[in-house]
Amino acid sequence: MEFDSTSSGVSRRSLLRMIGTVAGSATMYQAMSSLGFAADSPYQGPIDLKGAPRGSSVLVLGAGVAGMTAAIELRDAGYQVQVLEYNSRAGGRNWTLRGGDRYTELGGLTQECRFDKDLYINPGPWRIPYHHRGILSYAKRLGVPLEPFFQVNYNAYLHSSKAFGGKPQRFREIKADYQGHVAELLAKATRQNELDAAVSTEDREKLLESLRHWGALDKDLRYTANDAVSARRGWKKKPSGGLSARPIPSEPMGLEHILSSGLWEGVSAGDEYDMQTSLFQPVGGMGRIGEAFGRELASLIRYNAKVVDIHQDEKQVTVTYEDSQSPGAMQKATADWCVCTIPLPILAQIPLKVGTPLASAIAAVPYASAVKVGLQFKRRFWEEDEHIYGGITYTDLPITNIGYPNTGYFRGGKGVLLGAYIWGLNAMEFTSMAPEERIAKALEYGSQIHPQYPTEFDNGMAVAWHRSPFTMGCFGMWSTASRAAHYDDLCRFDNRIVLAGEHASFLGGWQEGGVTSALDAIGRLHERAVAQGEKA
Amino acid sequence: MSRCTTMPRFAGFTIAGALAALALFGMAAVRADDSAFTSKAGLDAQSGSAIYGNICQGCHMPQGQGAVGAGHYPALAGDPKLISWEYAALTVLGGRNGMPSFALPPNQADETRAVHLSDAQIAEVVNYVRQHFGNHYKQRITADQVAALPHPAPEPAP
Repeated sequence: MEFDSTSSGVSRRSLLRMIGTVAGSATMYQAMSSLGFAADSPYQGPIDLKGAPRGSSVLVLGAGVAGMTAAIELRDAGYQVQVLEYNSRAGGRNWTLRGGDRYTELGGLTQECRFDKDLYINPGPWRIPYHHRGILSYAKRLGVPLEPFFQVNYNAYLHSSKAFGGKPQRFREIKADYQGHVAELLAKATRQNELDAAVSTEDREKLLESLRHWGALDKDLRYTANDAVSARRGWKKKPSGGLSARPIPSEPMGLEHILSSGLWEGVSAGDEYDMQTSLFQPVGGMGRIGEAFGRELASLIRYNAKVVDIHQDEKQVTVTYEDSQSPGAMQKATADWCVCTIPLPILAQIPLKVGTPLASAIAAVPYASAVKVGLQFKRRFWEEDEHIYGGITYTDLPITNIGYPNTGYFRGGKGVLLGAYIWGLNAMEFTSMAPEERIAKALEYGSQIHPQYPTEFDNGMAVAWHRSPFTMGCFGMWSTASRAAHYDDLCRFDNRIVLAGEHASFLGGWQEGGVTSALDAIGRLHERAVAQGEKA
Repeated sequence: MSRCTTMPRFAGFTIAGALAALALFGMAAVRADDSAFTSKAGLDAQSGSAIYGNICQGCHMPQGQGAVGAGHYPALAGDPKLISWEYAALTVLGGRNGMPSFALPPNQADETRAVHLSDAQIAEVVNYVRQHFGNHYKQRITADQVAALPHPAPEPAP
């Protein structure tokens, strides 16, 4: 049977609420991230732009994922396309730092990446959910090979600096014990008839059976040390072969320890739609997608072009840009239409001939503060010593994440971890530091989880997104209020200009937001262009 | 940059540990107010220099010199607009051209991972900026003066 809100028995929601209350928090079944919009991608396959008016032209500002999606499709539809890009490379935030790369942040501090061959860090996006079909389809079209990204690794850690003596706990142990204890409590309540008002007699036995199954409870509906429980949380002595084969079960930890530790919060890390298996990453780094787009559009992209003015009149759009290789040298580009993907903090500063609604929307969206730190170690100790192959450790320390490379397992040699992925106030604090200080901090915090850090550390890279010269922030942060006031205005055409990018989506911070916003924008552009007819 | 689920954060910081880590790089010193790593959206630090050094200088830079890339962070050093303390305080309160508000009501602050500063903290950091980086505006403002300025409105009930 199914519990649902129309049945005479317990509603599914009230049952879950009860479990939450029993376990100490009614919030655990809500999305863990206050920001988690689990919106599906509306991507429905390649866009069809038939009948582009001959001679129509489009200027695309920004060679990131959104801009290059627009450029490829418009080019294929027969538009004359030109792309202006501030950086000297394609991709924007789709970006991978590898050995030999140099990165100069705002303020002038330059880092030289000294990672070994094939090792990298993705300062921007690093994972693609399977249902982000737009960006995945472009990866396929552009011949970028993908491999699995592990969101959840049962052998990685959940860590609280204030619980278990600061010792990190294996995900599988916290998950099995938390689930098992909650199942036992609920079974107890069921058997004591405390749920009679909510569960019919017929459902009662089924509920108990399901709890036994879900929580690995014994025949008496207890969660206790035995083979079945160890088969989930791991063994004190693992089963093996020969005379020394007999396993010894491990001892579950008490529910009170898990509840007070707060580590239960990490158990649902992979339950959100955006984080559910399968996720993917490009082989060789996320930047492979941007690089492939860049090759495809090579003849259309003008690099080192800093846009300084965007003007439009009844006939055309005129963009003035400066060649950053020869400052002061201003040039102009014109087209019938403009798809502008320039990040809003930058666009807000560029003289732009648009009406008040769009201008107000552009100024209304601050960008998230975020910092990522990549750390190269002399050996892959997380694999060699701790048997962690890919996935993520979560911690209450400011670094929040340790991301293990989802590739190159058992290879020997050096390895690069994502040593920090920092948000909010802590990100501002990290941004305020020099890069080497950020790295030192990431090492200091990470050492609490992996004591091998100090001896094995080799070198690192630290990217603070508010110091990024090409975005001035990580991604657009909408509130419910600002979306209600400005979102539609941000996405609407203003005469010949339309915006695209993750900021013009409900998939904020995801590449899929860039892809789908670009396709939506050029669909509308095409309608307008067709309606206007062929150029004289 | 895809959204991650994060856990509550707590300060786990020790000066000794920081010095040991920094020694790896041969760096001479830690920042003046290094204990500011906090668990909350609010910054514990109360002094103008600590607030500036932990938040503002991320964009406006350590000497208030600002920076230029595809866009720019305005220099605060010698900024003539700072003659108006109201201008400075209103900018911190409401944000400006991509700079976030530091006084959002709690529900909006949570949604956007914004940082909330008290009126007293805003007064302190405005005073700091107006008296450093070559700025010499003598008048110090108080929390009450900041409180009298318009603050971002609470979100209307849905």
